[in-house]
Amino acid sequence: MKKKTLTIGVSGINAVDNPGPGIGVARSLREAEDLDVRIIGLAYDAMEPGIYMDWVVDDAFMLPYPSSGHDAYRERLLYIQEKTGMDFIIPTLDTEMPFYMKYRQELAALGIGTFVPTPEQYRLRGKDRLGELAAALDLKLPRTVVVGSLEELERAVDAIGTPVMVKGAFYKAYRAYTTKEAVGHYNKIVAEWGYPILVQEVVKGDELNVVAVGDGAGGSLGRVAVKKMWITELGKIWTGVTIQHPAMLRATDRFMETYRWRGPMELECMVDGDTVYLVEINPRFPAWSYLATGVGVNLPDRMVRRALELPEPDTGADPMSYPTGQLFVRYTYELVTEMDRFQQLITTGERGDTP
Amino acid sequence: MQRLRSLALNPDGFAFDPTTGESFTLNPTGLAILEGLREGLTHEQITARVAERFQVSVDDASRDLDDFMDHLRAFRLL
Repeated sequence: MKKKTLTIGVSGINAVDNPGPGIGVARSLREAEDLDVRIIGLAYDAMEPGIYMDWVVDDAFMLPYPSSGHDAYRERLLYIQEKTGMDFIIPTLDTEMPFYMKYRQELAALGIGTFVPTPEQYRLRGKDRLGELAAALDLKLPRTVVVGSLEELERAVDAIGTPVMVKGAFYKAYRAYTTKEAVGHYNKIVAEWGYPILVQEVVKGDELNVVAVGDGAGGSLGRVAVKKMWITELGKIWTGVTIQHPAMLRATDRFMETYRWRGPMELECMVDGDTVYLVEINPRFPAWSYLATGVGVNLPDRMVRRALELPEPDTGADPMSYPTGQLFVRYTYELVTEMDRFQQLITTGERGDTP
Repeated sequence: MQRLRSLALNPDGFAFDPTTGESFTLNPTGLAILEGLREGLTHEQITARVAERFQVSVDDASRDLDDFMDHLRAFRLL
């Protein structure tokens, strides 16, 4: 019997200097054994490199920004589904999460599966709830103040003392050495991403992260920890190595158990000796998640199988085990292609082989 | 000692800590000492091994060992 080809939409195919997670997720799905997939790239800009990487992304469609209204966004997804028969979507960008959580059931009724947290789970891991989260996970939290005005910002910087990190609720984090600098970062983040803003003490240590997928019932479908060895100016990992950090893996397990998290997540910590500081928990795959696939923990594959109730291959190996000391090296690459793909995207909002 | 034992050590003197992701490079003397510590040798046994292997006096070897132990403590490996 011929296997059904699964058509899976993946967003975040902006493989740029601040890379979206989509290409790593799409590659993982392609490399999954016994899973026949067709990847639909969901893009917000006609120049997102994934659109042109046809060995990873089969078809690509432009989407309106979720912030421009959920109705237009939903309509567009329905159009794409009609056109491609999309079975499943893996949203990989923070700003998409509210939409997919809200319309999860409606999308499911239309035949589009997702594996995302509930709005309550999402809210509980919010940056404005980090104190409770750190306590629940037995991690330390750098001194953090949530601010909503310039006066509050200045008070927070005075109280914490410079340098401080100024962070947006969704994206962006800048280090400020003076109050004036903090004000500049505050204004920039508010203009782009809105409130709230977090002012956080700068803690020293190594950046250690974990990628995992929660099964929604208190367990995990797998998790892998990395130490960032080399990062870009934007703080994005360029070289990393797999590790088994007991406190971080324990915190990940406790997070799954306590919050019954459903879907991908990234635990970000700063570790100074025996002290593990919680930086944040992202409700999606990180851009480096292909590392997990590379060491045998293909989380997108496991997630899709669990969500669609497909058989999970029994390899005999412990699904939680992976080798340490495996290096992740990101690199840049170029391709040259006809301009018609770009033109097609600009004029029709889509490109690909689907009739 | 637990961390020391869990280090992945190669014969060229590259040590990787799989818990923290830290890596260290060791010179031949450091490598000999680390191997001795992981084998559970005493201070005297390691000193004798270093003195013999590198053709130095027992006093020099003992001092090297003490210095190295200080480094390990500084890196919280001991």
